[in-house]
Order: sequence, then structure tokens, then C-alpha cells
Amino acid sequence: MGAAVLTTLEVREAAVCQQRYYEPYFVAVLWEGRTRCDSLWRNLTGDIVPLLPIVRGATPYDRLYWTGYALGNAPVNVNMRVWARAVDLNGVPLGSSWRAIGQATIQTPPLRWFRVEIPEGHWDEYRLEVRSATPRLVYSRLIASQGYWKEWTRCLYAFSKTLRRLPM
Amino acid sequence: MPVRFLKNASEIADVSMESPLPVRQQGAITTRPADTLLVATLTVDTTARDLLGSTAAELPTLDNCGQYRKLVWLAHRASNTAINYTIRARATDLAGTPLSSGWQTLASGTFAADAANPNWVRLDIPATGDGYYDQYRIEVSVASGTVVLTSKIVGVR
Repeated sequence: MGAAVLTTLEVREAAVCQQRYYEPYFVAVLWEGRTRCDSLWRNLTGDIVPLLPIVRGATPYDRLYWTGYALGNAPVNVNMRVWARAVDLNGVPLGSSWRAIGQATIQTPPLRWFRVEIPEGHWDEYRLEVRSATPRLVYSRLIASQGYWKEWTRCLYAFSKTLRRLPM
Repeated sequence: MPVRFLKNASEIADVSMESPLPVRQQGAITTRPADTLLVATLTVDTTARDLLGSTAAELPTLDNCGQYRKLVWLAHRASNTAINYTIRARATDLAGTPLSSGWQTLASGTFAADAANPNWVRLDIPATGDGYYDQYRIEVSVASGTVVLTSKIVGVR
């Protein structure tokens, strides 16, 4: 009995390109309100007590988004910074001070709307501060999301090969 | 043969992307919780030990973590001292017994001294991708001296 003769088959090799993207599936509004900011670093609630957070219980959230609008016609720099910390099971911070997540400055106008993305999620408490040399009203909304990092796969069928008949 | 359903009081429609079957939600939409798995304070010294103070290499710091996509390690160090860490993980069988001895090292590195953030540190485990390991062992040490480290581990589903 002779060996089977393989017919010619066409196969493809996939060149795979993967890109990661964040897909939120739950979004919550954590805080909304306005802040009359001045030359002092103030929490969004207006306090200057560095112990107080603006939100508590933010542990489940992957990331936060701080969007807002600053009133006023004269150009002025509005400075912003974000702090975070973790608490124990009793709600007591693990230690003193805060972790500095980041800071930013916008000039209003021309910019009136701003959006600050806070990628470091899962901290328990956040403190968001603003200040400006000229008193200014800032309207803010703080939202938080839960989501997944996913991979988007593109298969590029760039190559095509033909199996050759195997030697007998 | 298409599947049809009573779309409203007088219309029978084929099931399609534009006209899906009606569904009724059972219960409220719940958020995906992140669980606090561990809060522990350790005086870190030059001996590599896990967050619970153990130097026994086979002992896990965290067990039953298979449901968590990742862990987030949030910690406060009492002084701005560099802390070395090693993250190990492994899987267990259905009885909770490790598939074998030893660990897979997921990451090792240093929380460097940082003027901008002298006290608070953070690490995602794993840094990219998903975890779903059953056990983790988190070891820390310092090059010299000691530093008090208060850690919190959050498991994210």
C-alpha cells in the first residue's frame, strides 16, 4: 500500500498586532459642586485642611475623571493637584500625609473647560485641590469608572504559504 | 426559520439585532467590588520577609485569590527609605494545595526613595495583564536599617 499523496493545502500565517484599551462598564458620579478658589490650595469643598478628603470609599474604582468649568473673563492660571491615600479596615489612613498623584495648570480663558484624568485608581480617599491668584469660581464633577483592560487583536493575513507535497 | 415574538400588543416581529427578544432584569445592577484582602504593618529590615513577617519561603502572604483579576498594593512607609520587594505567585489545586512547591516570580524591584512621594507607594500585581493566581507571597527588605511599612492589599475582580 503506497503512502497517501497529500493534496496541496493553503495555509495562512497571521501576523498579530495587539493593542490594549480600557473599557469602562460602570461609571459613578462621586462629587459635584462648585469651589470658590483663591490663592490658597483649597479642597473642592473649599476647605484648606489638608486632612480632609473630597471623596471616601473610592476603592472599587479603576480611574477617576475630574471635569469642570472655570468662570471669569480675565486670563488667570488655575492650578490643580490631586492627592490620594489608603485607609485601614476602620477607615483610618494608613499613615500621615497624602500620595501626590499629579498636578496641572490651565489658563482661563482661553480654556474654560478642563478634564483631569486620574489613572491611579483603587485608593480609598482622594483630595482634589485648586487655587488661582485671582478668585475664581470653579464648577467640578468627579466621576469614577470600573472597567477592564482589553486587548484588541488585529490579524493581518500577510503571508500565505502552500504546503508542498511531502517526499514519498 | 425565523423566531418570532409578540413585540407589542399588535405586532409580531422576527428576532433580529434591531429587534431583540425582550428581557427582564433580575435584581439591581451591582458594582464590581474591590475587596480589602490584607492590612498589615511590618518593620522591614535587611532580611527578606513577607508582609506578615514570615521568612518561611513556602508560606503565602495571601491565599484564595483566584477570583481577583489583580491586586493593588497600597502602602505607607514611615520614612523615605528605599524598599526592595519581590512578588511571587502560584496556583493551587481544588483542595487548595499548591500544584507544586516554589513560586513564579511576577516582579521584583524597589520602591525608591522619592522626594515627591516620600511615604506612599503603590504597585499593581501584576503590572499588566490579569492575575487570577491563587496564592501570592510578597516579600520586602531594605539594604540597611529598618523602616515601618503599613500595607493594604486590595483585590480587584
